[in-house]
Amino acid sequence: MRKLVLELLDAVPKGRARFALATFLAAAASASSVALMGVSAWLISRAAEFPPVLYLQVAAVGVRTFGISRGAFRYVERLVGHDLALRMQSVLRSRTYDKLSRTTLIGRRQGDLLTRIVQDVAAVQDLVVRVAIPALSASLVILGTTVMLARFNVASSLVLLLSAILAGVLVPWWAQRASLRVDRESVADRGALADGARELALAGPDLLANGADGAALGRLLEVDDRLRRQEQRGAWVRGVATAAQILAAGIAVVAALWIGGNAVAAGDLGPRLLAVLVLTPLALHEVFQDFAKAAQTFTRSQAAMSRVREVLDADPVGTGDVEPGEGVAVQLADATVGWPGGAPVQEGLDLIVAPGEKVALVGPSGVGKTTVAATLMGLIPPLAGEVERAGRVGYLAQDAHIFATSVAENVRIGNKDATDEQVADALRRAGLDLPLDRVIGEAGSTLSGGERRRLALARVLVGERDLLILDEPTEHLDHDTAAALMRDVWAAAEGLRTLVITHDESVAAACDRVVELR
Amino acid sequence: MTGPIHPRLFRRARATRRYLLASVLVGILTAVLIILQAWLIADGVTATFAVGRLPQGWPVLLLALGGVFLARAGLGWLNSWLSHRSAAAVKSQLRRDVLAAHLATPVGAASSSSLIRIVTRGLDDLDGYFSKYLPQLGLAATVPFLVGGLVLLLDWPSAFIIAFTLPLIPIFMVLIGWTTEKATKRSFAVADRLANHFADLIAGLPTLQAFARARAQKRGVDLNEERYRGATMKVLTVSFISSLALELLASLSVAVVAVTIGFRLVYGQVDFFTALFVLILAPEAFLPVRQVGTHFHDSVDGMAAADAAFDIIDAAPSHGGTRPAPTGGALRFEGVGYAYPGTDRRVLDGFRLEVAPGEVVALSGASGGGKSTALAMAMGFLAPDEGRVTVDGVSLAELDLASWRAQVAYVAQNPGLVRGTVADNVRLGAPDATDEEIAAALATAGADFGPGKPIADDGEGLSAGERRRVALARALRRIRHGARLLVLDEPTAGLDSDREALVIAAVRDSGASALIVSHRPAVLAAADRVVEWAGV
Repeated sequence: MRKLVLELLDAVPKGRARFALATFLAAAASASSVALMGVSAWLISRAAEFPPVLYLQVAAVGVRTFGISRGAFRYVERLVGHDLALRMQSVLRSRTYDKLSRTTLIGRRQGDLLTRIVQDVAAVQDLVVRVAIPALSASLVILGTTVMLARFNVASSLVLLLSAILAGVLVPWWAQRASLRVDRESVADRGALADGARELALAGPDLLANGADGAALGRLLEVDDRLRRQEQRGAWVRGVATAAQILAAGIAVVAALWIGGNAVAAGDLGPRLLAVLVLTPLALHEVFQDFAKAAQTFTRSQAAMSRVREVLDADPVGTGDVEPGEGVAVQLADATVGWPGGAPVQEGLDLIVAPGEKVALVGPSGVGKTTVAATLMGLIPPLAGEVERAGRVGYLAQDAHIFATSVAENVRIGNKDATDEQVADALRRAGLDLPLDRVIGEAGSTLSGGERRRLALARVLVGERDLLILDEPTEHLDHDTAAALMRDVWAAAEGLRTLVITHDESVAAACDRVVELR
Repeated sequence: MTGPIHPRLFRRARATRRYLLASVLVGILTAVLIILQAWLIADGVTATFAVGRLPQGWPVLLLALGGVFLARAGLGWLNSWLSHRSAAAVKSQLRRDVLAAHLATPVGAASSSSLIRIVTRGLDDLDGYFSKYLPQLGLAATVPFLVGGLVLLLDWPSAFIIAFTLPLIPIFMVLIGWTTEKATKRSFAVADRLANHFADLIAGLPTLQAFARARAQKRGVDLNEERYRGATMKVLTVSFISSLALELLASLSVAVVAVTIGFRLVYGQVDFFTALFVLILAPEAFLPVRQVGTHFHDSVDGMAAADAAFDIIDAAPSHGGTRPAPTGGALRFEGVGYAYPGTDRRVLDGFRLEVAPGEVVALSGASGGGKSTALAMAMGFLAPDEGRVTVDGVSLAELDLASWRAQVAYVAQNPGLVRGTVADNVRLGAPDATDEEIAAALATAGADFGPGKPIADDGEGLSAGERRRVALARALRRIRHGARLLVLDEPTAGLDSDREALVIAAVRDSGASALIVSHRPAVLAAADRVVEWAGV
């Protein structure tokens, strides 16, 4: 993961310099609050010796400056840090997009991957802003403070360093592992809860109608109860890091008072420095917290980043984009189809779609209908046999994505050079009456399932097509909507080669020929 | 913003109230310990300063100081422990209520995806609310007052500086929030749209690939990223100002206290002990308030999670009563009107229909006319806004719905299935059915797959048509096991005419009455009566 983060850092203009600046500013902010306490303690101790007021002026200016500088440094640091994090995220997003666009996604059931990757990529922001910068700057401040105090008293500053390592490194590390153990115990129950909730959400009416709701809810409540008790049992490790910070500060303060007191008695330490020695650890204690928070975030972002790396390192499958073919015919002859590197899903397959013909491709789930479509689109080569494919394929997917932009732009995905007239015509043929400039996805402007399918159809119809491939055009639509949609689909497909992948017997019945895969 | 404490969470989740009380007690104890700690440190340092070595009885002093830190650590741990336990209890309570609410109104209310999100991950945002925000709120409500009060007793000018600055923090936060709200909202909306653009493109990648547009869009991604960063930085530049004000006020006020008390010490207006004591206490008065500001974000997420849960809970009225359902008599819709929550459009208005015992009634009509809604009402999943649905003259609102549903077999247009096998799903409606009976019911329903076929999440492995056949087999079996009414939504959609005939025959043979939404001529022909419902 370090390699990936460093790569991203180098991809940002002056990335390393920006990172150094953000870390320096963060350290300066934390150092300001430590210095505020230390110099204040000196000021008051010095004042107790009743010197001429002039002698206090420099310290007073210092105290006021540190009072202002903490906030100011912090503000600039956050801006620099977030800007860097956003730049790195942009690079990572661009790379991820590039990678994914070059691997075939059609028909590979990767919807889950696509929704997760967006979240995972965002983890790089946390890694920079919440992990790297705070942890590095906190280390700098603790080291700097130790060195400063060592000039007055070495022993006391060493105790401070040790307490910082205890509270900042050892205990957070242990607490993190203990929390992970607690979280791991609940993984199975969390999975069961998610499955049960999904079942209850999707099959709720069926469970109620059959009087099975009580039992299903009861099972789910048992899981919930186990989860609650696990979380409550695990609660004890969560506050350990917090407690350790207070305790470490205590050790440092008590040790400073004891060692410092003896040093004063021995004449090794000016009495007015004792307060500095004792009060500084109190302020430093707040800095320790940065470590604990960074450790927590680190675990989370690490998992996300490793998922991103998996995507970036994966070998591309197929061509990604559908490239227009050379020929005009649509034919598979004695073809063996399957995903590259996978087992063949169909062997010795013969399939012809003649001009003006409507062919239904049917068969049980998982038999490779979409794989056949991907082969006909030229996304993947046949593993054996011959494929002739038409130049311009229009593919209507059951899960065609509707982009959050205008209706016209959505249609133009199918033909970026289409005029407004062509777009309007495609919409009309798809049976959709929407203003071209209506933006979809904004408040109140959502489309029903049937309308979405029709918009996707318009996209297919807006360009010249040699072959239409309709992938489960009626799936998930209610019966009336599906019937109305298919009427318009058949009208629009008149005279074209059409291949329909379907489970729906009424759709298959409307075709000229049915090819059954088994 | 609704205020520092979520009102519904406070009123309705018992663990929240108990925890708030506990956190105030912890806060008071913490304040006492902080004061004790400051007193011991100031005493140790000034005494050593005065006599040039550790004072008499120093072991006791150091031990006491160590003890105070130990107690504070223990208290900090206790606070975390209590807050995590409360979070777990509240999450559990809300999960239970949300799930029960969904079963009370299983159609039309919350979308299933939002329900799943809330129950699984959404409520986890309450962890941050309870474990980070509320404990600091408890401390902020107690420590500044007790510490500030003591400083007032010891040295009123310092207390005056603190008392002047401390209330300024929330006031400034609110003022900055107000003045920047408009700008923030506008740029936030822009940033949000640009942020979603990337997610939108990624989700649409397969679609872009189908039209050979995916690779070309990379330039669009880069361009969008540039604009997204610009817009986000604009938002952040403004929104970080409030924390700048917070930090500035807190540390500047400590600085002013330190400098002022230092000079007053020189002029003999205050003694060394008091000066040091106040210096140690001053930052402690600000710390919890600053922490509340830091964790404000956690509170927003947590409150949003609680709101989402309560919205589902409150949107689910408990319909139905306690009377056992009559075991005979007609099902009647008496002038029923209904509009889905949040919409004005009525899907049903003045709807009348009767299904007499033994009668098969087909309901036919245009799409979106509320036919499926009527069936959901017959099942008691929804309650009418107007009119009533009755069984043998008794309103469903008075009936024990479980006893009514026990007499009904139901097939939804998109049936949900539970994980297991096809047989498990058929058996849901008739637990004591034999394997042979299940196989026969599946054959009648037109299933070309065996009872042993496994079903994963959300009916994965079966198409929508196949799912409907499983549900139909279940309904047919249920009728054999004593149900007296079939409620079917497009039961033969996607079946060829031979299989359709088999299903119709099975329905007619059962002798049960039936309410069937269908447009298929064969079904309409086989019904005793066809009701055309044109919609509203």
